[in-house]
Amino acid sequence: MNAAAIPFAAIFADGSSNAALITFLIYTLAVFGIAALSNRLMQSKSFLSEYFLGSRSLGVWAFALTFAATSASGGSFTGFPSKIYTHGWVLGLWIGSYVVVPICAMGLLGKRINQVARISGAITVPDVIRDRFHSARFGLIAVCLIVFFMSFNLVAQFKAGSLILKTLLQGVTVFQDSAVALSNTTSGIDFLQAIDPQYLLCLLVFGVAVVVYTTYGGFHAVVWTDVMQGVVMVVGVLIMLPLAIVEVGGLGNATRDMAKMTPPRIGVVSVARDDPLAEDGLIPSGTWLKFDGEGADRPRLFRVSKSVVFKANETVTDALPVVEITTPDEIDRLTTGESAVEFDRELTLLPPFDPEDHQGTVSLTVSSPRDADLIIPKGTWFQYETDRAGTTHVIRTAQRAVIPSGETAAEKIAVTRPGSKKGVAAARAALQAHPSPGGVDVESESIKPCAYVFGKKKPGVYVTGPGPHPTSDSGFLPLSLAVSFFFMWAISGAGQPSSMVRLMAFNSSQTLRRSIFTVALYYSAIYFPLVIIFCCARILIPGMDAESDRIMPAMAVFLTENIGLGWLAGLLVAAPFAAVMSTVDSFLLMISSALVRDIYQRNMNPEATEKTVKRLSYLFTMIVGTAAMFGALNPPQFLQDIIVYTGSGLAACFLAPMVFGLYWPRSNVQGCMAGMLAGFGAHLSMYVGGIVANGSFFDPYRLLNFDPIIVGLFVSFATTYLVTRFTPPPPWRLVQKYFHKGGGQLKD
Amino acid sequence: MSAVDPASETRRHEPVEFDPVYLNARREAIVVFCLWLTALIWAVPFCYLNGYDYDPESFSTTWGVPTWLFWGILVPWIVADVFTIWFCFCYMKEDDLGEAHEGADLEEEIVEMHEGGTGAGQ
Repeated sequence: MNAAAIPFAAIFADGSSNAALITFLIYTLAVFGIAALSNRLMQSKSFLSEYFLGSRSLGVWAFALTFAATSASGGSFTGFPSKIYTHGWVLGLWIGSYVVVPICAMGLLGKRINQVARISGAITVPDVIRDRFHSARFGLIAVCLIVFFMSFNLVAQFKAGSLILKTLLQGVTVFQDSAVALSNTTSGIDFLQAIDPQYLLCLLVFGVAVVVYTTYGGFHAVVWTDVMQGVVMVVGVLIMLPLAIVEVGGLGNATRDMAKMTPPRIGVVSVARDDPLAEDGLIPSGTWLKFDGEGADRPRLFRVSKSVVFKANETVTDALPVVEITTPDEIDRLTTGESAVEFDRELTLLPPFDPEDHQGTVSLTVSSPRDADLIIPKGTWFQYETDRAGTTHVIRTAQRAVIPSGETAAEKIAVTRPGSKKGVAAARAALQAHPSPGGVDVESESIKPCAYVFGKKKPGVYVTGPGPHPTSDSGFLPLSLAVSFFFMWAISGAGQPSSMVRLMAFNSSQTLRRSIFTVALYYSAIYFPLVIIFCCARILIPGMDAESDRIMPAMAVFLTENIGLGWLAGLLVAAPFAAVMSTVDSFLLMISSALVRDIYQRNMNPEATEKTVKRLSYLFTMIVGTAAMFGALNPPQFLQDIIVYTGSGLAACFLAPMVFGLYWPRSNVQGCMAGMLAGFGAHLSMYVGGIVANGSFFDPYRLLNFDPIIVGLFVSFATTYLVTRFTPPPPWRLVQKYFHKGGGQLKD
Repeated sequence: MSAVDPASETRRHEPVEFDPVYLNARREAIVVFCLWLTALIWAVPFCYLNGYDYDPESFSTTWGVPTWLFWGILVPWIVADVFTIWFCFCYMKEDDLGEAHEGADLEEEIVEMHEGGTGAGQ
């Protein structure tokens, strides 16, 4: 079966995939069933300890899988496969520290934090900090940092979950009809107007599902749904692995083919048709186009990467996003023989961009509104100066632009900037011959080379480091970043409060020992196999580089359709959805526990009745979840960047104070509080430095090329140690209580 | 802890016996950290020296995986799993983590509140 023949946009849409949709729905219903069962568990136990910590009773499977599933997050099944597809085998090194992540994340702090939490009766991470140092102020700082980081992260995760669901349901009739109905219902509400109704529907379904089961079932619901989600993830990967290897004809074949590959070019093209359409028609994503250049050895091959409407009564459509295959062997394979793709015969590809060209979008503006529409035809030349370097460039519009009367700007349009010396000289000559319209300026440009900056025309780039990169000239994983990621996964994983709270919940050290072993096997079964599967995907599903976020569901459908088991796709695509759900639910509970336990009960009303606390827990979990849903209505643009910023920021704040607090009797509140704030400040300053150095908060300044996490951790550890050394020792009773034999029995 | 306990202050200078759970946990944490360091020192330099330069003549695969990644990550992964099994079942001590004093911290604060103390405010 040919990969190009599958309508990837419609994962559950075609007839054989009804079973997939049903599998997916059954899975979602099971999540609610578990929440209901968990709620029953709460009837006879201490409410807060049960609701936020599962009464410290987790056994091996529950503890191991909740730990693994929460750490895995949605990124493992969307962002990670996308990165493997885009950059190749080097992702094996990128994820390399997962070799030791289970033993680090659980073994470094696990036994000790569990013991300390038992001694003090702590239920949350700020509780542990507050009790260990006997400092309300320190506890409050910890609460503030958790709420700050996790709120951003929660909104980003809500968006991720909704986008995954939207991808899965594309093309399903019931879904499309419901989105239209929702759009009609919300037509009178102004702030919902600009939101894609399909996204809105997915956000509501995803958000309500997660908020309801988390609120109702508490920690046990989160843990047991995590267990189910963890099983789904590993089963999904283990089914896909042999299917992918067989389909590609053996892993050795796949690697040898990848060794010949050169990175694609990404840009826009124009297509024409002889006879105009009577009604609007769609050029779907996945359409293949061919351009036979004069005197060329082989044709140029393009895959449409985003569906575009071909308007009625027109003969040309511009700015069609495409990915160009550049590997000669791959072009031969896709144009002739068994694996040949089917080309669209009704569309004629107009001469595409030059391989050296840059493409992107710009805004064309005028200083004051005009009385009539200003039409700027396709092919108009402009000269502009880049903001940062001040270099002058010449660009050519790749589509028609209109600045409407009474307005000062046109919608963003696609442009081409010649990249070769010959092209630049020709462009300057053309600009002189055909000057751009007076009074029109070019603004807010975002123009990138069509070819990859690192790896273009270089075979072998997908099977060696640092891996190809579209914009960075040092490749995907230069040495400094490889070291950074060893810190990032293993060390910062140990510093996540969401992991720490799980470490407080297991029932015995025997459970911890068995769980470290279980998680080690679990990660071994997931992460390296994922690298293998999505390296195979490069061969099986070519040209998805511009939409690689969808490679996981695309691969799931491709592999299961091939063996005639469409329903299996439902289970496989449930894996990324499961991963996001398991992350969101635990973060939701972290924030509400911070508000109810750490702020209300411990600072405002320690004598609150259990009934009050119970009501507030339900209420705050629901309020926080609903607020995050509203936040995700207008979600932040930099999804993955926010997740990275918050994850590394939390580690920079919490790891050093926790390590010193648990293992160094001399550590005191001054040192650990200073370390927490210094870690926060150092990490944040790298991101703020990014605004100055790179023009964006989410493109942080990298001191000596290292990731901000390294700077944050270093500053935090150093500050904690130095400040502790120069300040008085901690109260003797605290040392006795937490470090001396029998100290845990001491009463204050 | 509203005031310094004179009895405990006198004991400050006496030889103390540390909690065995703390000592075991600290020793285990040091071993874990050394394992992480070993993994870092092996994997990153090995992969960098052997896998960051493509030569079509010398490029090879082992079990379908590029050889540099096979020896740099996949084999260490298996070794780390074996180490983890040893660590979990032979090295890590079975410790009694104690009973959870549910609500102890809260009770303490309520007492301090009624005594008119400063609470947990340092």
